[in-house]
Amino acid sequence: MTDRTILVVDDESMIRDLFRRFFEQAGYSVQTAESAEEALEMVRETPIWVLFLDLNLPGMNGVELCRQIRRSWPMAIPYAVTGYASLFELSSCREAGFEDYFTKPVNLDDLLQAAENAFGKLERWKER
Amino acid sequence: MKILVAEDDLTTRTLLSGVLTRWGYEVVPADDGRQAWERLQEPEAPQLAVVDWVMPEMSGPELCRKLRAQERESPLFILLLTSKGEPQDIVEGLEAGGDDYLTKPPDNEELRARLNAGRRMLELQAALAQKKKLQGVLEMAGAVCHELNQPVQSVLGFSELLLMDLSPADPGYDLLKNIKIASERIGMLTGRIMKITKYRTKEYLAGVGQIIDINEASEPEGGPELLAHKEA
Repeated sequence: MTDRTILVVDDESMIRDLFRRFFEQAGYSVQTAESAEEALEMVRETPIWVLFLDLNLPGMNGVELCRQIRRSWPMAIPYAVTGYASLFELSSCREAGFEDYFTKPVNLDDLLQAAENAFGKLERWKER
Repeated sequence: MKILVAEDDLTTRTLLSGVLTRWGYEVVPADDGRQAWERLQEPEAPQLAVVDWVMPEMSGPELCRKLRAQERESPLFILLLTSKGEPQDIVEGLEAGGDDYLTKPPDNEELRARLNAGRRMLELQAALAQKKKLQGVLEMAGAVCHELNQPVQSVLGFSELLLMDLSPADPGYDLLKNIKIASERIGMLTGRIMKITKYRTKEYLAGVGQIIDINEASEPEGGPELLAHKEA
């Protein structure tokens, strides 16, 4: 069984709190970071395979964070969640390695679906 | 359409005014440069001006220079009238801010054609200004939407979280559901506005100007939608 931990990166504490409560209620364990730099430090310590990244972060943005994570952990499955849809193009997010892209406000059910898909994939990959 | 005729010679001014009135212009006369300047400072001043080169108080080119140094609310097309045919004069007049020139006495057909060209230029400038204004409004709307999405995410998400814990029989359930539906609608609206890549406008009321038609403008350009909202 894959470790069911999700990393949520968002600079707004209310959003981190929301996602944490929601995913914990759904049975996942949740780590949060408020910047890309903090997130990188955390995954270097212990890799986390499913991630929800805000794109418009202070300092390093979410696209660059995704790129770095995918370079070091190619099996990681990062999702973009952004309020700035026109600032970050879907194509450049895919290019950076995002699995999918959600525009805020997003229904929590959609995020749960995404998390379940991701862990399903990870399970399948492990069986190879 | 209003047109300023700045000409100190009464005969020429009367002749010009007669022709222009016949063509449907509303003539605003001025008999020297100073008066011309004053007429052009009034509210709803003409946007077309036929200006004589040599005038008392202020010459044509001088008037041009003064007008061009001014920040004007609406564009102005200046047709200079010259009785001199010297090439450097023409250069001087255009450099001073004249848009075109005619040698006196002007040929009527040529005058009409040049004024028509001037009107086309004014229309183009007005269209451009309108476009810039709309662009600015859109950029503003987009920025506001971006900022709104964060708090709307919280309202939507937390109401969803609360709904999970409530039984549909709970009196608060329907109220909470309304909050959720309303926040989804805000999200759809901001999403639409942000998807604007090409905007179109529709005539709101003739003369009043144009408004942005969000429904038209946010028509998807094809390709997958970034976010498919579930029907509430």
